[in-house]
Amino acid sequence: MEQALQKICGEKRATTDPFELAPYTKDVAYVPAILVNLLTNPLPKAVVQPISAEEISSVIKWARQANMPITVRGGGSTAYFNCIPMKSGLVIDTNRLQGFSEIELDPGSHQKMVWVKAGMTWKDLDDGLRQQGCAVCSSPSSAPSATIGGWVSMGGLGIGSVPYGSVHDQVMALRSVTATGEIVELSRPDKGPARNKGAEDLQFNDLMGTEGTRGIITEIKLLVRDVPEKEEHLLAVFNHETDTGAMMSWLGGKHFTALYNVHFSSPEFIMTLQKAGYAPEIPSGKYSLEIDLEGKRIDVDQAIAQITKQVELLSGTLLPEGVGAEEWKDRFKSLRLEQTLPSLLAAEITLPISQFATFYARLRQLGQKTDTLCVTYAHLVSPDTALVMVLYPSDELNLIRYIVDLSFTSNLYKLGNSLGGKPYVIGFWNTAYLKKIYTKEERDRRLQRKHAVDPHAMLNPGKGYNPPNIILNSTVFGFGMIMIGLFRPLVLKIQKGGKGQ
Amino acid sequence: MKTMEELHQQIAKTSYICGSCGSCRSVCPVYREIGWESSAPRRKIALAKEVFLKHKEKIATEQYAQRLQECTLCGKCAEICAAGINTRELWLDLREDLTARGMEHPNLKQMAVQLKTTHNISTFPNESRLDWAEDLDDVEVEVSKAGSEVAYFVGCVSSFYPMSVGISESIVSILDRANVNYTVLGSDEWCCGFPLIASGNSQQVTELAEHNVEKVRALGVKTLITGCASCYHTWTHEYPTILGEALGFEVLHATQYMARLIREKQLMPGNLEETVTYHDPCDLGRNSGIYDEPREILQAIEGLNFVEMPHRREMADCCGGGGNLAAVDKDLSQAIAVKRAREAVATGATILTSACQQCVQTLQMAARQEKLPLEVLDVTELLWRSLEE
Repeated sequence: MEQALQKICGEKRATTDPFELAPYTKDVAYVPAILVNLLTNPLPKAVVQPISAEEISSVIKWARQANMPITVRGGGSTAYFNCIPMKSGLVIDTNRLQGFSEIELDPGSHQKMVWVKAGMTWKDLDDGLRQQGCAVCSSPSSAPSATIGGWVSMGGLGIGSVPYGSVHDQVMALRSVTATGEIVELSRPDKGPARNKGAEDLQFNDLMGTEGTRGIITEIKLLVRDVPEKEEHLLAVFNHETDTGAMMSWLGGKHFTALYNVHFSSPEFIMTLQKAGYAPEIPSGKYSLEIDLEGKRIDVDQAIAQITKQVELLSGTLLPEGVGAEEWKDRFKSLRLEQTLPSLLAAEITLPISQFATFYARLRQLGQKTDTLCVTYAHLVSPDTALVMVLYPSDELNLIRYIVDLSFTSNLYKLGNSLGGKPYVIGFWNTAYLKKIYTKEERDRRLQRKHAVDPHAMLNPGKGYNPPNIILNSTVFGFGMIMIGLFRPLVLKIQKGGKGQ
Repeated sequence: MKTMEELHQQIAKTSYICGSCGSCRSVCPVYREIGWESSAPRRKIALAKEVFLKHKEKIATEQYAQRLQECTLCGKCAEICAAGINTRELWLDLREDLTARGMEHPNLKQMAVQLKTTHNISTFPNESRLDWAEDLDDVEVEVSKAGSEVAYFVGCVSSFYPMSVGISESIVSILDRANVNYTVLGSDEWCCGFPLIASGNSQQVTELAEHNVEKVRALGVKTLITGCASCYHTWTHEYPTILGEALGFEVLHATQYMARLIREKQLMPGNLEETVTYHDPCDLGRNSGIYDEPREILQAIEGLNFVEMPHRREMADCCGGGGNLAAVDKDLSQAIAVKRAREAVATGATILTSACQQCVQTLQMAARQEKLPLEVLDVTELLWRSLEE
C-alpha cells in the first residue's frame, strides 16, 4: 500500500508508519479512548499529502479500487471529529496544497478575488494578501490553524461575518475532485454557468459546509477586500446581560457600514483570563463587548460617535483607547483560558441575537443548578445571529468525571434549541442532533445529494448525515445523556472540584 | 536548577494546557519542511502529555526523541500559541529529560563531552581563541587589559570558524575606531553554555557560567558586549538565574552598544549604496526582545536602502541554525535556511544582514548552495564596511 501511494505522491508524502498515523486519530477535542474505540475505528491505514488535484484524483481512484474510505484533513482544528476516520482507510492531508494566485479584478462586479489552494491557513493567506494591500473578508477565530478548504467545508462563520456573511458567500468558484476521481471546476450558480448540470454530478453547493463528504476541495476562488483605510477597536463593558444583549441587537440592527466584528466575553470568561494574568484592564464582574470597526475614515468615525451614545444609553462604559486594540490583537488566543482551566468541554451554538440575553440568564441558572462554571464568549455573525461558545471545566485525567461532564453538552444544546439555537457543526459527535439542525425535508435532500455524488460512501463516511451508530441515534443518545447526567451531581460532589478548581 | 521531579511536574502541567489547536503548525519552520503532524509542536506536546501526565512511558520512543530534537528553539510557536504556553521552555525541559533518559542525539552527546574538555564548541584548543586577531594589521587586541571599560565576549563561532571571524574582526575594528577602551578574555573565555542548554545538558552550564562571570568581574568592566545572539541571551537570561544573583555589570549585544555609540556621536557610520534587509535572530529578537538597535545602525548608514522582509521582528522566520538542529539533521537545517534566504532575495536586497554569528553562517551557506545573488553579513560587518569605504 505504502509503495502504491508513494508512487502517486512521492516517497516523502505517503506513509503507513504507525508513529506518523497516530496524530490523525485526534482533533482539538479530547475524547476518552473507551468512547472513541466503541464508536469508531479512527486509525488510518495510510496518510498522503498530495500537492495537486491530479495527485488527489489518482489517490481516490486507487482507494476506490482498494475499497478504502477517504477522510480529508485540513488544520484539524475543530472538535467534532470531522476530519477523523470513522472506518480507518486513507487520510488525505491537504496541508501541502499551498499558495494563491495574483489578485484578479472582476470586470463586471469590480470585486477583487484570488484562487487559493485549500491547505493554506487563513492567517497565512491574510498575511500574504496584506503585502499586496488586500485582506481576507472574514476568518475563523482559529485563523492561524484553520485551512481555507477546511472552513469552507464547515459552517464558515467567524470574525467579519457581519458585513461579509458566511465564507460560503465569498466563494466564487471551486476546483475539486469528485468521489470518482474526476477533477472539476465549479462556478457559483448565480455567478456563472455551473460546469455540471446533471443531478448525479457534483454541484457547487455540494461542497459548501458538507465536511468533505461529497468531494474534495483543492482550490477556491475567494473574494478579497482592500485593506481598510481605518480600524478602531472599542471595548465596552456593561453591568447586565440584558444591556449587553440589547447592545448586540442594536449593533446588528443599525447596519453600520463600518461594523466588522462584535465579540462578547462573559464575566466568567474575563475572570478566568485574569486568573492567568491576562486582560487586567477589564473590570471584573462586567460583560464585555469588543466592537471592531473598519472601513473609510468617515464611516468609522460616524459609527464611533453613535456607538458611544448607545453605550451610555445602556449604562455601559467605553474603556480607554488601546484596551480594545489589545483584545483585537489577541483575538486568536481564547485558549489562554486553559491556563486556568486546562481541561475544557464545550458546546458551540448559533443563536438568534434577540434571545442572547435570555440564553445567558438561563445559562447562569443552569450553571448554578448543576454547580458548573460556564465560561462564555460569542461573535455576532450576522445582523441577527450570534455564534456562542460555552465552555465548562472537566478533567480528562478522571475518566468518570469526564464522561459525566460530557452529558452537560446536551443540556447546553437543549437550552440553545429552546431559544431557536442550533449546534453549529455536525461532524461525527453532533449527528445525534441532526433533527435539531435540519428539517426532515432538508435531511432527505442532503442524503439524496450524498447518494447521488458518492453512492459508495467513500468520502468521510459517518459524518454529517444519518447517525453512523445506534448509540448516536437521537432517541438513544438523548436517553443516554439524561441517564449519565443523573449521575453527574453525585460524581461532582464526591470529587469536589465541581467548578474545575 | 530544577530537579528531575520538578522538571517532570512542569512538563506535565504545561502539556495539560495545550488545546491542540494547531496555531503553532504553520509558523513552525520544522513542520513546514517535514510536513507530518508528528513534527508539529502540538503533536510533540500531545506526546509529552501522554508521557508525563498520563505516565505512558512507552510513548517515549526513538522517534519521539528525534522529533523533540528536530527543533530550532526559535520560539515562534510560543509567540503564536493560542493558549499562551512558553513552548520554548517546554522544549528545553523535554531535552533535559531526554538526556536523563540517555536518548540524546549522539552528535549532541559528543558535543557535550568535547565541550567539557576544550571549553568551546570546536575541536581546537581554547588557547587558540584569539587566532583570528592575528590577521588584523591595524588593531591590537589586548587580553584582560586592566582598567578597560568594556569587555568583548567573542563567542565560539566567531572565534574558531573562518567563515565567521569577519564578525569579531569588525567588532574590534569598530571599537578601536570609536576609541572605546575595551579588552577581550582570550583563552579565559569559555563557551557561554548555550549549546549545552539547548541539548539538555544544562547541569554542565553552571561551571561555565561561574568561570565566565568570575573572569569578567575580575576585569572590573562596566559593560560586557557580545556579537553572538545566543551568548547574549545566555548572559542576560540564564546566568543571573543560574548564579542566583545580579552579574554586577551591564550586558549588551554588540548592536545595542554600537547603536549607542552612534546616538552619542562617538561613531559616525559611513556611506554605502546598497539595498539591505535584516534577519532578526531568534535569540536576540523574539527570545530577548531586541529588534530596534540593529535596524537603527543600518538606517544610520548613509545611502543604504533598507528594506524589510515580510516575516520580521516577533514573527521573523528562523534561519534554521538554532537549537543545535544542524547537529541533528543538517539537511533540515539547510532547507529552512534556504527558505529564509529566498525571502531576503525577494525583497530586492543584495545584502542580507543579521546580528548573530550562527544565523550569518547558516544563511551564508544557504545562499552559496543555492547560488543566490545575496551577500550575507553581520550588521557589524556592514557597519565596518561603511567606515572603511
